[in-house]
Amino acid sequence: MREQGSTHYPGKEKRDDPFDMESLVGYILLTGVLLSVVLLSVGLVWRWARVGSLRFEHSIVGMNFFEFISSTLQKIASRAFRPRLFLNMGIGVLMLTPFVRVLASVFYFAFVEHNWKYTLFTAFVLTVLTYSLFLR
Amino acid sequence: MSFHVLFLVSIVAGFVGAMSGMGGGVVLIPVLTFLGMDIKHAIAVSIVSVIATSSGSASAYVRDRITNLKVGMFLEMFTIVGALAGAAITLISGRRILFILFGIVLLSSWMALFQQRSEGWRPAGHQDAFSRWLELQGSYYDRSVQQTITYRGVRAYLGGPFMFGAGLIAGLLGIGAGALKVLIHDLVMGLPPKVSTTTSNLIIGVTALAGTSVYLAAGMIDPGLAAPIILGVVFGAFMGTRLLVRLTNQAVRHIFLGVLLVLGFEMLIRGIWRAGG
Repeated sequence: MREQGSTHYPGKEKRDDPFDMESLVGYILLTGVLLSVVLLSVGLVWRWARVGSLRFEHSIVGMNFFEFISSTLQKIASRAFRPRLFLNMGIGVLMLTPFVRVLASVFYFAFVEHNWKYTLFTAFVLTVLTYSLFLR
Repeated sequence: MSFHVLFLVSIVAGFVGAMSGMGGGVVLIPVLTFLGMDIKHAIAVSIVSVIATSSGSASAYVRDRITNLKVGMFLEMFTIVGALAGAAITLISGRRILFILFGIVLLSSWMALFQQRSEGWRPAGHQDAFSRWLELQGSYYDRSVQQTITYRGVRAYLGGPFMFGAGLIAGLLGIGAGALKVLIHDLVMGLPPKVSTTTSNLIIGVTALAGTSVYLAAGMIDPGLAAPIILGVVFGAFMGTRLLVRLTNQAVRHIFLGVLLVLGFEMLIRGIWRAGG
């Protein structure tokens, strides 16, 4: 599949190495979504096995994203595993997926491609995203 | 609302979202509100699921080398700022206006695309200096016609500001606004339809995350409600993605147009008839 189609830019050799930008971004997105799906499924199945219902209602109130992640990590550290914790982990991983993708893009453009133009663009996106995730 | 209904609705939304490049929200929000959910909560839960739909589809397209990463990463700068502003506006808006806006956005996208429908994609002749400086050119292998399509992105100086508007709509209505992003890629920047759709998918993930952050801060994200919806859209999007790479550009467009028309009218009529709000 991969050798059939490839994006290339004039002036640069067609890249077929297994760890190029496309592979990095693609696998980050794939891993994030799959991990999130597994965590959410575990939470729902566990809930169903325990109480015979899949109905959950709990809003995340009064927290920004990083506080939400930190409270989830604290519960993991204290081994307070409950179905609800798995749902929170699933949502957290899902929200981190595009964030990590942007973070990886900054590093890739800066240290692999040495493309300062796109390092600056992706760094701007990362800064705005980080700011927005601190909102409360 | 039962888990089973939420799950089934979300599978359909994810499938249509991936097929059209719109993201799942365009189908999800009309159906969730039709089933009785408050539109602001539907928007909030939809935009979380849009992260999943777009990231799931984008992961396959990116590895297939159809997505143009540089076009995506340049335009993201504009969409995320728009999404933050849009979500903040939704929090203070009346519900009726959100229904009407939803309908108008879908129908406008439909009209613009319908007029362009009979014309196939033609590569742009001359690339402007700014787009060349941004390195907005590329190629991909199109399996449906079995040849490599080479293209040059143009008019990035217009595409960027327009994308701020698309991001604003995305955050405002929780839809990812893939419809508008595809339009801008197609009509303004001269990208082939498959590159438009797949690059739009990549941008939607980051745009939806910016919108989600505002709804999360407002306490409007309910993980118990979001979980079956996310699982449904991911499953639906997975099936849609597998089908998209086997279809021609025209077939993709037909599905895209039909969905926009029906849902646009439905939301507009409900907004106009809705009492108060």
